[in-house]
Amino acid sequence: MNNNNFLKPLLFVGPHIILFIVFILIPSVYGIYASFTNWNLIGDPVWVGLDNYKTILTDTDSTFYSQFFNGLKNTLLFVVFSVPLLIIIPLLIAVALEHKDLKFTSLFQTLLYIPGLISISAAALVWSLIFNKQLGVANNLFGSEAVWQTTQPYAWIIILIITIWAGIGGNMIIYRAGINGVSKDLYESAEIDGAGPVRKFFSITLPSIRFPLIYTMVMTTAGAFNVFAQPLMMTDGGPRQSTTVLMMYIRDLAFSHGESIAGLASAMAVLLGLVILVISAFQYYVMNRNAA
Amino acid sequence: MFKKIKVSKYLAYLFLIVVSAIWTIPVIFGIVTSFRSQTEIVNEGFRLLPVNWIVDNYVAILENTSSAPILQWLWNSIFIATLHTLLVVAVISITGYGYSRMKFKGRDFLFFTLLAISFFPNVVNLIPSYKIIDILGWVNTPWAMIVPGLAGMGNIFLVRQFMRGIPMELDESARVDGAGDFTIYAKVILPLIRPVLIVCGLFSFTGSWNDFLWPVIVYTDVDKMPVTAGLLLLQDIYGNYRMIGQLMGSAILAIIPTLLLFFFAQKYFVSAINLNSGIKG
Repeated sequence: MNNNNFLKPLLFVGPHIILFIVFILIPSVYGIYASFTNWNLIGDPVWVGLDNYKTILTDTDSTFYSQFFNGLKNTLLFVVFSVPLLIIIPLLIAVALEHKDLKFTSLFQTLLYIPGLISISAAALVWSLIFNKQLGVANNLFGSEAVWQTTQPYAWIIILIITIWAGIGGNMIIYRAGINGVSKDLYESAEIDGAGPVRKFFSITLPSIRFPLIYTMVMTTAGAFNVFAQPLMMTDGGPRQSTTVLMMYIRDLAFSHGESIAGLASAMAVLLGLVILVISAFQYYVMNRNAA
Repeated sequence: MFKKIKVSKYLAYLFLIVVSAIWTIPVIFGIVTSFRSQTEIVNEGFRLLPVNWIVDNYVAILENTSSAPILQWLWNSIFIATLHTLLVVAVISITGYGYSRMKFKGRDFLFFTLLAISFFPNVVNLIPSYKIIDILGWVNTPWAMIVPGLAGMGNIFLVRQFMRGIPMELDESARVDGAGDFTIYAKVILPLIRPVLIVCGLFSFTGSWNDFLWPVIVYTDVDKMPVTAGLLLLQDIYGNYRMIGQLMGSAILAIIPTLLLFFFAQKYFVSAINLNSGIKG
């Protein structure tokens, strides 16, 4: 073994390892460390042990306690309502698109994919106008009397609508590719056995695309926990903070104009991270077991 | 038997047409509104087509270079997303080569360790990442958005999977002809992995273009920000629906570049994303 055997691979994988250490490893470790400190982002963090966690989780008088649980509740609400729709709607579309001898499939796919390419802030400007009380489509065309942005449950509904409108493209393409890869023989022999389209969907299509389903479910859920842009742009967290998600509190505490409370914000981030981690692992475990 | 197929075929058509219409109407509504005057929008309310088509909104948008320099924002976004994408493609192909076609001790252990760490939710590293960008002096510079994303493992995983499907005999015969690793990477492997690189590149471009949380945090200078962060300011600048046309026009301008990219690269989107085989070592 000469040195060359190690040096050359290092030239190939080394640059990325440096990037990984600087932009993923160090910030992750430091983020956990900072959650045990008092830190204003400028000076050195001061170790305070579990104080931040105690405040967030047990001090019922503290605003951070109510912010954390309100934010977590709203984030969970968003996850519970958005994720099933972000899986089922693209799946139905993909199944429809893979129907045999259907024409214009690439046109349909393009139309449905385009919203995903529109930056969320541009989309929010358009959708806010659509749901504007005086000027919008929703009230003028459908005679709705609702003030969408500032009344519940409408505030949540518009956040979900823009999320689904912008979010189905990626999953749709993954499912299409998956369904496309299923052997045609399976469907033909099922047809000979007299299976209808619904039966074929549940007995052949779903089991065959098991891996894409698990993958998209885990990724979509983890993404939904990081929700931030839609409530910020559509409702600004209102009415009465009922759509303020945890990411908005974390950003405000760490980066707002006053003194930064980055230590406490880090503790909230770690707690959110743990929730994401546990739920992802749980999903992966359950789906892998049921499907096996 | 024949009837059954027909019914489900028309059901599929109906479903797709309805969904596509719902998905398209907001964009058309935005475009149409951007060509209407404020008085017309307020007085006439919702209309399918403008009474008078005007371009004044776009003139006003382009003339406002102080509080909402949208062309500058678009240029910032194009510069950031393009450079980011090119660097992603370079990094993932070189690193993927190292992890799949070179032999060194602990190679797979190293790869899967990094992959496992990268699954850790990135909300935790958000605040320290800002601090690191600050220390590097990259706040309010394009580098804040170009470089950190290069550290990700997802694309490297895809490239590595793809490369494992290429027979090793190709490398060996090139080696017999006297080629070194860099030659094999550039001349043999790179042309073969083009499909996966194009898909990763497209996703990197649109991901960078549409990123919202991070630019809102790292850019405070109006002239330096990308268009996603800039549009957040517009609700205040053209706010309270006093300048609806300008608001919609800005949103439409922000959409155009990604649409162009999509139409040029459309055919690659479906072809290379097949996850059915799953993770098999």
